[in-house]
Amino acid sequence: MKKENSKNEQNRRKFLQLGLLSGMTALAGNSLIQSLQDDASADSEDSGEKVRVLTPDGKMVEVDAASLNKYPEAHIPPAEARKGIPNKKFVMVIDLAKCKNARKCVEACQRGHKLDYHEEFMKVQLIQNNDASEPYWFPKPCFHCEEPPCVTVCPTGATFRREDNIVLVDNNRCIGCKFCITSCPYSARQFNWSHKEKFDDESTPYSPETGVPGQEGTVIKCDFCPDLLRQGKLPYCASSCPMGVIYFGDKNEDLVTNGEETVRFSQLINDRGGYRHLEHLGTKPNVYYLPAVNRQFPLERGFDVEEEVIERYKEVPYVQEMKKKGKI
Amino acid sequence: MTTSSSKQIDPAFLKSIEGKQSLSKIWVGSLIILLVLGLVALVYQIVKGHEVTGMRDNVVWGVYIINFIFFVGLSYSGAFISGILHFFETPWKNAVMRIVEIVTVLSLVVGPIFILLCIGRLDRLHYLFIYPRIQSPITWDVIAIITDLIGCFIYLYLTFIPDFAILRDKEDLEVSDKRKNIYRFLAMNYQDTPEQRAILKKITRTMSAMIIAMAIVAYTVLAWIFSLTLQPGWNSTIFAPYFIIAGLYSGVGFIIICMYLVRKYMHLEHYIRKIHFVGAGIVLLVMSLLFGYFTFSEYFQRWFSHKIHDMNLLDTLFDEYFLEFVLANYIGVLVPVVILFFKRLRTIKSITFAAVIAVLGLWLNRYLIVVPTLETPYLPIQDTRPEFLHYTATWVEWALTLAGVAGFCLMFTLLLRFVPAIPISEMMEGQNKKNNGHRAKKADS
Amino acid sequence: MRNTVKIQILSLLVLALFLPWQAIAQDFDLKAYRLRFKLETTKNADGSRTLDASFVGQNKKDRKDRLPVHQAEVVFLNTHEDEEVELGKVNTDETGTAQLTLPSDQNYLTDEEGYIEFVARFEGTKEIKKKEADLKVKDLFLEIQAEEIDSVKTVVVRAFALDSTNQRVPQDDVDLRISVRGMLSDFIVEEGSTEDGIFEIEFPDDIPGDVNGDFTMVAFVEGSDDYGNVEYTLDSDWGVFDDVPQKEKNELWTEVAPMWMYVILTIMLVGVWANYLYTIINIRKIKRLGS
Repeated sequence: MKKENSKNEQNRRKFLQLGLLSGMTALAGNSLIQSLQDDASADSEDSGEKVRVLTPDGKMVEVDAASLNKYPEAHIPPAEARKGIPNKKFVMVIDLAKCKNARKCVEACQRGHKLDYHEEFMKVQLIQNNDASEPYWFPKPCFHCEEPPCVTVCPTGATFRREDNIVLVDNNRCIGCKFCITSCPYSARQFNWSHKEKFDDESTPYSPETGVPGQEGTVIKCDFCPDLLRQGKLPYCASSCPMGVIYFGDKNEDLVTNGEETVRFSQLINDRGGYRHLEHLGTKPNVYYLPAVNRQFPLERGFDVEEEVIERYKEVPYVQEMKKKGKI
Repeated sequence: MTTSSSKQIDPAFLKSIEGKQSLSKIWVGSLIILLVLGLVALVYQIVKGHEVTGMRDNVVWGVYIINFIFFVGLSYSGAFISGILHFFETPWKNAVMRIVEIVTVLSLVVGPIFILLCIGRLDRLHYLFIYPRIQSPITWDVIAIITDLIGCFIYLYLTFIPDFAILRDKEDLEVSDKRKNIYRFLAMNYQDTPEQRAILKKITRTMSAMIIAMAIVAYTVLAWIFSLTLQPGWNSTIFAPYFIIAGLYSGVGFIIICMYLVRKYMHLEHYIRKIHFVGAGIVLLVMSLLFGYFTFSEYFQRWFSHKIHDMNLLDTLFDEYFLEFVLANYIGVLVPVVILFFKRLRTIKSITFAAVIAVLGLWLNRYLIVVPTLETPYLPIQDTRPEFLHYTATWVEWALTLAGVAGFCLMFTLLLRFVPAIPISEMMEGQNKKNNGHRAKKADS
Repeated sequence: MRNTVKIQILSLLVLALFLPWQAIAQDFDLKAYRLRFKLETTKNADGSRTLDASFVGQNKKDRKDRLPVHQAEVVFLNTHEDEEVELGKVNTDETGTAQLTLPSDQNYLTDEEGYIEFVARFEGTKEIKKKEADLKVKDLFLEIQAEEIDSVKTVVVRAFALDSTNQRVPQDDVDLRISVRGMLSDFIVEEGSTEDGIFEIEFPDDIPGDVNGDFTMVAFVEGSDDYGNVEYTLDSDWGVFDDVPQKEKNELWTEVAPMWMYVILTIMLVGVWANYLYTIINIRKIKRLGS
């Protein structure tokens, strides 16, 4: 009897073990297949902009964000892009007193223009005017100058200045001589040194107003987002700044806004001592700066970013001092 | 005239044309290897894009444009020198004229190839001609180079015509019939009649004057590509004269080197003599002093007024590029000056050595003009990627540089097997004058 | 026996590595979000009325993590006591907003004091409970009068409601602001509240307007408990746009260069190429002479 029982016990054990084993294998196999599928679907999701939403059934899914460029109605071909939005004179004002290097402007611009991590149309620099003063965070887009040296030196007219103050690059005409890059005193331009996969995306036709898709061997830079302006929206940087640092508007109307408040451009410049960077060079930029007076945030807040970003500022004397004291 | 002249031609001139002088296999072999390497690098760059070079978003102009300026500088200075020599009919021009003119044309062929390597979209090169903007210094440069290239070709050809005539008329010239036909065609029925000679003389003289003017204008335009920008280190009012002097300096040095090589390997010791080297050496001395003066003016002025961006530039020069700075601006100036200043030190070999130092120093000087300025822009480069902070040329750029030099040497070598290295017609004229002078003396006595 | 057990345990452990631990850990937890359902109304300048329902989940731990509810059906109703009039059904978009615009001649059920009650309702599903939001607003009318009185630009805004006999009832203490409409936003000129249904301001005389000196004046009531949002616009030509003189066309940075550049370039090129032509002609002359 005992022998039988023990045999039964053994059989039961074996049966249970087998069941457990097969169950786990099934689970494991399923999850393997799942993760493979996820990888595949993750690649395909990279092409469009997605947002996370909740369905009425309580599930979380990703759907297409409302496309900001209403192609084909909004497509501005290169020839048309040279004319500009009529009767406007766009201008940007950046309030250095409020900038804390949140870098949301950099990231939003990169998303909107399909840029890689290191490609920055809007750069945030750390500028120290002199040894006695504390440095300040300096967001620097293209200044869209009134008398742009970059436009002057372009041999084929690929870069041009429009009536609405915006300076654009027509990547269908650029031959990649890079004279404009050497000519810009503000280092606002960049070059596509090699072919990238994103250039093959033919879903929207090329327009100098969007700069998408890019092309190898051509010059790229901040474009003041004319495609958004035509829809009455602020450029990516201005609308994404959590501190409201970037004001954008029309000099003709004399109004600039940062999304929260709208102010008279002339009043802002006069009351806050607005100036242009390196004014003496005579380029007459259309980006004005309000001095870093009565800062809203201590400078150290701006170092709450990735290591790689902090490394960029290692030449600034203040940063070197901070590093010595071990504060960074 | 024809028969007597054929008797008087020194066989040394014709050796290389008749193919009797064996081409050094090592020489040609190594040149071809370098050219092939360059071709490989070129294909690699076309396929992979400019990412394979060391150029990045701040230093967007590197070794290619440096080579471009250098070679075009050689060309313009050659044009200038040959123009002056011809226009003022300096006595000992004959030995070096041909070499100078060949250097002028060949370096103007090699130079623009380098700038094409720097262009991002070669498939759109024709846009320079369809959509030109005449406010752009690059447009001026394109016009200047094309005009100058054609002008130098025409001028070179004009000096070839009498020689082609002599080669055509020499019946016992041991060359293939096809070659003889080419000589006949290119000689343009030149029979050295007084009428023809007068016309040829006139147009050559006019062209030589034009070449001088074009050389100055064209190299000025090239200098303006840099000095009309706002960048610290480039925005200088004396850039155009500085470039011309530097170009002349490198040009004379390069010509001396060519003279030395042609003299040695084509056994023309009788015709290219020490006096030519000394003459060229004196010019080199003067150029080196002028070049040193201009360079000193540029840097001293910036250091003295110590504007912030100038000081940043000088800091970069003296920290990162100290060795190159010393080689280019101190050794490159002082060694030639010392060698050429003292009569005792002037030998053919030492003068050639001075020329080599001058040429290398000048290439480095070009490097120091282009790259440090781009590394110290007005707004500091705040980046972590080392290739974006400091320019380092890659093997692709060096391979193409060497290939360019090799191409130049190869073309030079091959051309001298087609055309005599010394203008025979001029030598003969000199001989005839001498002989006539002797006969006159004999007649007198 | 023991060996087989060991093998079995080992293989179980190995298999365990393949288990979708990540997925199990990351399983979406609806309970972590508080779902907020709000209703707002705006009376537009043309008299139409917009109802905005917003249905967004907010992460209880991370306030910045918002999850809008998409494609949820929202019913807009106008109620009075027990009566319900369905105004429309709209599905929320990917921002969680459902919007319904009703024409200016729409009739509403009102209570004795003239308040209209709106209800927005989400019927609910198995996973999400039924949601309802309501608000009561009075139908406010705004009128802008812009006149230059004694060379002082004066703007008078009248706020009133209509009673059952369509008589104007001026509304006191209405917080409103007067703005100028810009391309991207509205610029607030002055803020204040009505006294006896009237809000009067001195309008600044340095507003440029567009290139023709025109601009749109906006009177706006924001988020009032009694009226919701109300907007009214008036086109004005009080703009003092300075006709900025057009700069000269031909500069270094324009498409057409300064004239003198074309002239000099032509002279130089003609001079040089004429010489080339002369040279070539003479070469041919030499050839002719020699034949």
